[in-house]
Amino acid sequence: MLGFVLRRLGFAVITLFAVLTLVFFVIRILPGDPTLVILGDQASAQSIALLRERMGLDQPVWLQYLQFLGGALRGDWGTSLVSGRPVIQEVLNVLPHTLELTFVALVLGVVLGLPAGIWAAVNRNRIPDYVTRIVSLLGLSAPAFVSGIVLLLVFSIMLRWFPVISGGQGTTLLDRARDLALPAINLALIMAAYVTRVTRSSMLEVLSQDYVRTAMAKGAPARAVVWRHALRNCLIPVVTVVGLYLGILIGNSVLTEIVFNRPGLGKLIVGALNQRDYTMLQGMMVIYTLIVVLVNLLTDLVYGFIDPRVQYK
Amino acid sequence: MTMKRIALGVVSAALLAGTALPALAQTLTVAVPGNDLATLDPHRASATFDKNVINWMFNGLVRTAPGQFQLDTIEPDIAESWETSEDGLVWTFTLRQDVLCHGDYGPLTASDVVYSLNRAASPETSSYSADYAAFETVEALDDHTVQITLSNPIPTVLGLLVPFNGGAIICEAAGTELGDGFGRNPVGTGPFAFVEYQSQQFVRLAANTEYFRGAPEIDEILFRYVASDSSRDLAFQSGEVDIVNGRFEQSWLDRMAGLPDTTVQVLGPYELHQLHLNMTQPPLDDIRVRQAIAHAIDRDQLVAFRGEMLTRPATSVIPSGYLGHEPQTLLEHDVERARELLAEAGYPDGIDLRTVQTTLPAMLTTMEVVQAQLAEAGIRLNFELVDHPTFHEQIRQDLSQVVYYGASRLPVADIFLTQFFDSDSIVQKPTAVTNFSHCDVADAEIEAARTEIDPERQAELWQEAQRKIVEAICAVPMYEMGQPYAWTNRLEFAVPQEGSLNLSPSINETTRLAD
Repeated sequence: MLGFVLRRLGFAVITLFAVLTLVFFVIRILPGDPTLVILGDQASAQSIALLRERMGLDQPVWLQYLQFLGGALRGDWGTSLVSGRPVIQEVLNVLPHTLELTFVALVLGVVLGLPAGIWAAVNRNRIPDYVTRIVSLLGLSAPAFVSGIVLLLVFSIMLRWFPVISGGQGTTLLDRARDLALPAINLALIMAAYVTRVTRSSMLEVLSQDYVRTAMAKGAPARAVVWRHALRNCLIPVVTVVGLYLGILIGNSVLTEIVFNRPGLGKLIVGALNQRDYTMLQGMMVIYTLIVVLVNLLTDLVYGFIDPRVQYK
Repeated sequence: MTMKRIALGVVSAALLAGTALPALAQTLTVAVPGNDLATLDPHRASATFDKNVINWMFNGLVRTAPGQFQLDTIEPDIAESWETSEDGLVWTFTLRQDVLCHGDYGPLTASDVVYSLNRAASPETSSYSADYAAFETVEALDDHTVQITLSNPIPTVLGLLVPFNGGAIICEAAGTELGDGFGRNPVGTGPFAFVEYQSQQFVRLAANTEYFRGAPEIDEILFRYVASDSSRDLAFQSGEVDIVNGRFEQSWLDRMAGLPDTTVQVLGPYELHQLHLNMTQPPLDDIRVRQAIAHAIDRDQLVAFRGEMLTRPATSVIPSGYLGHEPQTLLEHDVERARELLAEAGYPDGIDLRTVQTTLPAMLTTMEVVQAQLAEAGIRLNFELVDHPTFHEQIRQDLSQVVYYGASRLPVADIFLTQFFDSDSIVQKPTAVTNFSHCDVADAEIEAARTEIDPERQAELWQEAQRKIVEAICAVPMYEMGQPYAWTNRLEFAVPQEGSLNLSPSINETTRLAD
């Protein structure tokens, strides 16, 4: 297994290098000049030239690339063109907020989605099944910014339970929970919808297997058959979806971050793109890739825990 | 140390207040539709939301009256008096002796002013260095006297010394000590001092209890970035936000005005929105085609579209209220005449024009109306939609035959005329600024007015420049638009708010927040 992990990490390095190179050149091909964004529309040509020189943007692209690679190898991701602060520091500032939100949304989503999916499967083509399917379809179709605004209207304006601006700055645990509640629920609803649908179909398939029929035939209680025999066998596709979705969640939570005004990685990426902050984008893409690679690796390892037949070669 | 001292100030203020009431610091929360700050260095900041905060932290040698932005309201700020030589080239300012820099940076003296103005004039440290090109020397005659010597007369010296862009005075010790970090840890002398910044979240300012005009009534300002329009309005509605910077739409103003205990106000200075026509590219090189475009534009309809409270029809190629502005006779909306002119120019079947257009909603919706208006006269305006940074780059590469641009500048005719209509400012030249039309018809007048000492003669020259530019149709003026704001009626300003150069309400030592 250690060999498997090491080999996967080896591939990860190659992936990272490819992403890094691609991002470096693509963002430089994009039109739009960071110096104009920084200096504004009244800056003289002289100021712009001076700034380009100071940021090293006047050098040939291949030279910039080599310098960037050299820095990256030493663990130096450069400084943000706009804020002048180290990229790593800017990312680490917001990363905890993103991880916190993602983790809570993930747990909530699984806690809601898994039982709902099982419930729908064991009641196939009966009312609970229809209800679950319609609700989960709604969850999949409603964009995060719509469900977010609805949550705000109901819980912040009408009921006044939560703040509109959940800055994630709370100092006590209760404050933090209050700040986190609505955005996490908003993301969890989408997550739960995915998990419900995958669990349902996977469970249906398992329930039609011979060993389930055998268990039923020998008189085992239905509850025990579902929870002890079927559940574990239907989890692999669910774990796959959760793993895939976790990667998407970390980058795509930007709409939720904007609606609830939370700091986060998604907002940082969008901001950096709007300002053509090259160094910032480079650093963030690498970190994002790293997270996706690690999550995928983790997913693969979880397979082994669920299903002892899975071998790591 | 800085933070400690401010915190001490806040705490002691809270304790004093607490003798009668429970110690509750008064926080004024402001929300703006931005994502994050770029820099709080006043000599660098170009984004509106950065200037909004800078507004409350800095002083100039002089200032426009609180709540006002017109240069004829200029009054003493750090300088208590000043005199000028006969030829207008030597200006001597006497400074107040009770001005303290924020934090532990001590009293402000003449050498700080010299440092600050030199910093504003250097292209290495300032985005506004070109404005100060005529400042030959800035000297400290003694601790409290500063002398500025000009190489040639300029239209407004005092206008460059208000706390806006390069005119904001920063303390030397802080500027040299913090270097590039100054933009994230600004040190000024104003009623509020910088405390902390949380990326994508907020900037926190605390009352400067040692402010030379007296300690502010409000303890703290929380300047929040709330990018989502709906959440920002909801946060105002729920009482989490006291001042909200709104959407450029009449419907927003109407909805906010319908909320209880809310004041809705449009602040100046108004931005002038116009279409710059590239006069070097066919078919726009034919004046009849440009006249046809001007005739096809219906200014009143555009104003009705954007909102009567937010906008007003343009009257010239520079914004009204600017020193030197003179209303011009603009071509009337007349679709028939537009068609005739096109036919005369040899285009009976109409023309196709290419425009690079930003996807920023407030600008795109206007251009959609313009597109429909032009279409009625047979002028087909084809959009190339791009994001905002791309827009800014491509319009500077002559890639857009029609450039839609909205701008406000220091309210004196010279700066607007120079940046948009002087041939030195034509895009792609080494001296380029924002002359997208390649206009050069009023160079002589703009240049002569710049150094003219006699105000009457200067006004005549500016008037003549505007007339020539309007006649040549370098640009088609459309409307002027202010800054939409709403605030709670708990907020009490000592003076009426008509606007400020930094485009945010003047929150100072006299502003109160009722319980």
